[in-house]
Amino acid sequence: MIYTSGIDIGSTYTKAVVIDAENTIVGRAMQPTGFKLAEVAERVHQMAVEEAGLAADDVRYVVATGFGRHQAQISDVQVTDLTAAARGTTLFFPATRTILDVGGQTMKASRLGDGAKVKSFRLNDKCAAGTGAFLEKTARYMGYTTEEIGPLVATSKEAIPISGVCAVFAESEVINHLSQGVAPADIMHGAIVSLVGRSVQLMKRVRMEPEFTLIGGILRFQRMVDVVREQLEAEVNVPDGDMVQFTSALGAAILGQHRLHKLADERRGAKDARATAPGA
Amino acid sequence: MMGPGVLTEWRDQPLDEVFWHCRELLEDDSYPTVKRWREGGGKVIGHFQVYFPEEIVHAGGLLPFKVRGAQVEPLQADSRFGSYLCSILKTSLELALSKRIELEMFVTHPICDAARNLAGVWGRNFSYPCQILYLPQNANSNHAAEYLRGEYARLKRAVEDVAGREIADQDLRRSLALFNRNRALLRELYAIKRDAPWLVSADEAYVLVAVGGLIPREEHNELLEAVIPLIRGREARRQDRVRVVFEGGFCEQPPLDLIRAIGRSCYVVDDDLLIGLRWILEDVPLDGDPLLNLARSYLESSSYSPVQHDLRKPKEKMLLKRIQDSAAQAAIVTAAKMCEPGLEEQVAYTRALDEASIPYFVSEFEENMTSFDHLEIQLETFIENLLFE
Repeated sequence: MIYTSGIDIGSTYTKAVVIDAENTIVGRAMQPTGFKLAEVAERVHQMAVEEAGLAADDVRYVVATGFGRHQAQISDVQVTDLTAAARGTTLFFPATRTILDVGGQTMKASRLGDGAKVKSFRLNDKCAAGTGAFLEKTARYMGYTTEEIGPLVATSKEAIPISGVCAVFAESEVINHLSQGVAPADIMHGAIVSLVGRSVQLMKRVRMEPEFTLIGGILRFQRMVDVVREQLEAEVNVPDGDMVQFTSALGAAILGQHRLHKLADERRGAKDARATAPGA
Repeated sequence: MMGPGVLTEWRDQPLDEVFWHCRELLEDDSYPTVKRWREGGGKVIGHFQVYFPEEIVHAGGLLPFKVRGAQVEPLQADSRFGSYLCSILKTSLELALSKRIELEMFVTHPICDAARNLAGVWGRNFSYPCQILYLPQNANSNHAAEYLRGEYARLKRAVEDVAGREIADQDLRRSLALFNRNRALLRELYAIKRDAPWLVSADEAYVLVAVGGLIPREEHNELLEAVIPLIRGREARRQDRVRVVFEGGFCEQPPLDLIRAIGRSCYVVDDDLLIGLRWILEDVPLDGDPLLNLARSYLESSSYSPVQHDLRKPKEKMLLKRIQDSAAQAAIVTAAKMCEPGLEEQVAYTRALDEASIPYFVSEFEENMTSFDHLEIQLETFIENLLFE
């Protein structure tokens, strides 16, 4: 069996997925990215390989993606998050035409054409406004951790408007709401509504078309999915459970399989050409 | 040059540190090596891009300094040139106006209208000689070599005036031998880029070449002789990257960060960056008339660029040959903004690439650009199409 690995070195978490030639996931792992990108990429890859019950040499091709992709010395090639996300998403939802990917520091919207080709894309600006970092900081101002965002916002009764998505300006707004006795869950809900508003703007700029698929670490919060659905007034696809976080790594691994097939075809073509050459 | 040399920091350092020192020097717009040369009593002749017969300056005991623009704000030079002209003209003059570089003479060439006018503008601001070296417009004339020899002789007399001494044929031959060695070492570096591009990144190779324009060639040879074996012995993982030729860096230089960004996505196996330093492709003969030999080499054993017109070297065919010789799979065809020769040639290049079914990526750059995110993602998308389609 031919195995490939995809490593997604995201700004917050690094994910690795090992698949077989049938695109079946046989191992996966995730660790906080930290500051030593090459090391974390190698470590997470090894963890995924071990989970698959394989030896390092069993993995024939490694593809890195994510913002830290160029630091992954273990990889055979690097691909953009956009291409990787497109491949991973269409494995789960083949009819996907628009992807919204909201990560810790980035937000990307892309529109796909046939064969999961990226036709158009938009990224957030340089700062982390409108990304997971905005939600994390909002939670932190109120004394909650990132993992508590989901349970907290599930108890919200109404969203309190937050006027922007700048984490710096939002702090004073959050403090103001808290001083007026507003429930933290409602403030968090408001932050999500504000973030989704920005996400939908990005999707409009790529001329979004259904089906819509949402991926990225922030989409593990069900309330986030609900708000996107409400604002789009359309159904959205979301990979099961924590696969929202692994979709790009999976796409990278699929691209690895694809590349191995292409290289094998090229070798076969070259061999055939030699065999049919005059004097062969 | 008397004393230990103008660039010593790299000695006895590991390879990565050597690259770091070269990069620091290249990005230092106070030109410390040129200053050290002057402090040692040396004189400096600045020459504008693309090709210049540095051997003649070297034979007179002076430092030939390659004027190739810089990442500086042209605060004073902006008033001397129109906004429709390329950046390298302005930033080159800015280096002199702001006294970042001090020269004893400046030489430019009629490679384009703007560059030809540079000597006039430069000369109105400084009292030292500012000249145009008229490289032959018609390289195919039977008299081109003889004509160019005359130009070189004129240049030699001007250099002698600055040096305060005559330049003997023997001085010239010694310089030719030194520069022959330098070009051979650069060819060796480029052979590594071609044969094992994972051993040296695009920006590392570039800084190694580029520092040659900032230090005496003896020191550059010493640096290359020390570094090339270290590169060959480097342990580096070979990746599954597309091999590309970069075209468009013959005059204004792309920012180092842009070269680095390109090198992250693909293997740059050949290029025309600072082609003037590698213009002559074979050793210049040392026997006979050194100036005539140098002139003949310029015409007969040379590379190509959009600013030399030679019917024997149609640029688009030369690009295809460069791609073939380096076993490249694609080309990056770029030009500096407002660069007429570079942008004009893009038409012929892309047409020839289309006919040869060689994929290419077209772009523009400016030496002062600081954001490469969009360009990098476009390039990566182009590369991904080649890898996965």
